[in-house]
Amino acid sequence: MNLDQWMAELAAETPLEVNEQASSCLKSKIYSALILALEEDGPLLPLPETKKAGRALCVFEQLVEILPAPDAVQSLQYCKVCHAKALGERLENAPIYWPGCPYCEFQNR
Amino acid sequence: MRRGISAGFTTYLLRDDLTETTLFVEDRALAAAMLARDRKAAAEFVQRFTGPLAGYVRSRLQPRWEDVDDIVQDTFLTALRSIHNYRGDAPMRAWILGIARHKVEDHYRERLRHSVVPEETADSELIEDPGMDALLDKVSSEERTASILRVLPEHYRVVLLWRYWEQRSAAEMAEMSGKTVKGVERLLARARDEFGARWRGKQKEAAA
Repeated sequence: MNLDQWMAELAAETPLEVNEQASSCLKSKIYSALILALEEDGPLLPLPETKKAGRALCVFEQLVEILPAPDAVQSLQYCKVCHAKALGERLENAPIYWPGCPYCEFQNR
Repeated sequence: MRRGISAGFTTYLLRDDLTETTLFVEDRALAAAMLARDRKAAAEFVQRFTGPLAGYVRSRLQPRWEDVDDIVQDTFLTALRSIHNYRGDAPMRAWILGIARHKVEDHYRERLRHSVVPEETADSELIEDPGMDALLDKVSSEERTASILRVLPEHYRVVLLWRYWEQRSAAEMAEMSGKTVKGVERLLARARDEFGARWRGKQKEAAA
């Protein structure tokens, strides 16, 4: 057996271990980047429609959602000004506990 | 959750948990919600796929983990831009891992582009094989492989991972990296020699 065949066999027989755990900071940063990209492309789905689709809203989004506000307001991304985003992007196991908040749900607790 | 990538990328996809057709329906619904710019769908997208993507990219970049987060994020942004291309006839996990594979190969290409191809030398391919018997002990074989890959010079590590774990031919690697096929083959030969020598060294250590 030459080295080429040997390496091919070795690779076939030898898994490279994959740990599928991701840090909550990474998830938070990616989520922020995705939302930014979505917003650049157009308005987000208004909060009432998001709720209608069966998605959980956080307490701040719920407050906006019950307001008789136009779609332009309902489509804003309120996470941008929330401390949960700042903490989620910087701290593992961040002390944030709002139900319906993506940054809380990203925590590996 | 820990998984193994045993025979290259294809096997990794085939070992996917999400192989039930019913789950593709969920994937299609998620894609539709993303297209509707549903912010919570974006969160679900991140929650579901960051782990598998980070795991795959980490395994392919070891030990250069400093680039992992950027590649994972870049994969997500590319996936978002091309979510309209996801038809739901395969698991979304496989689809997004396919995008990650291209990103990893971009990384390999960039690393290889700046490496110097060694001069032609006598063929050392026929040296005694480094000892397949060691493969009988899978765990130590995995550890040994990983530890050798980590300490190899980067361009050697990249060509070995690209050729044997991503299962690309020397011709494909040459085309993607802008090097000649001969050049890539020489680099591969050097990398194999180096890997084999270190393998034998570890075997002697273990035997002593």
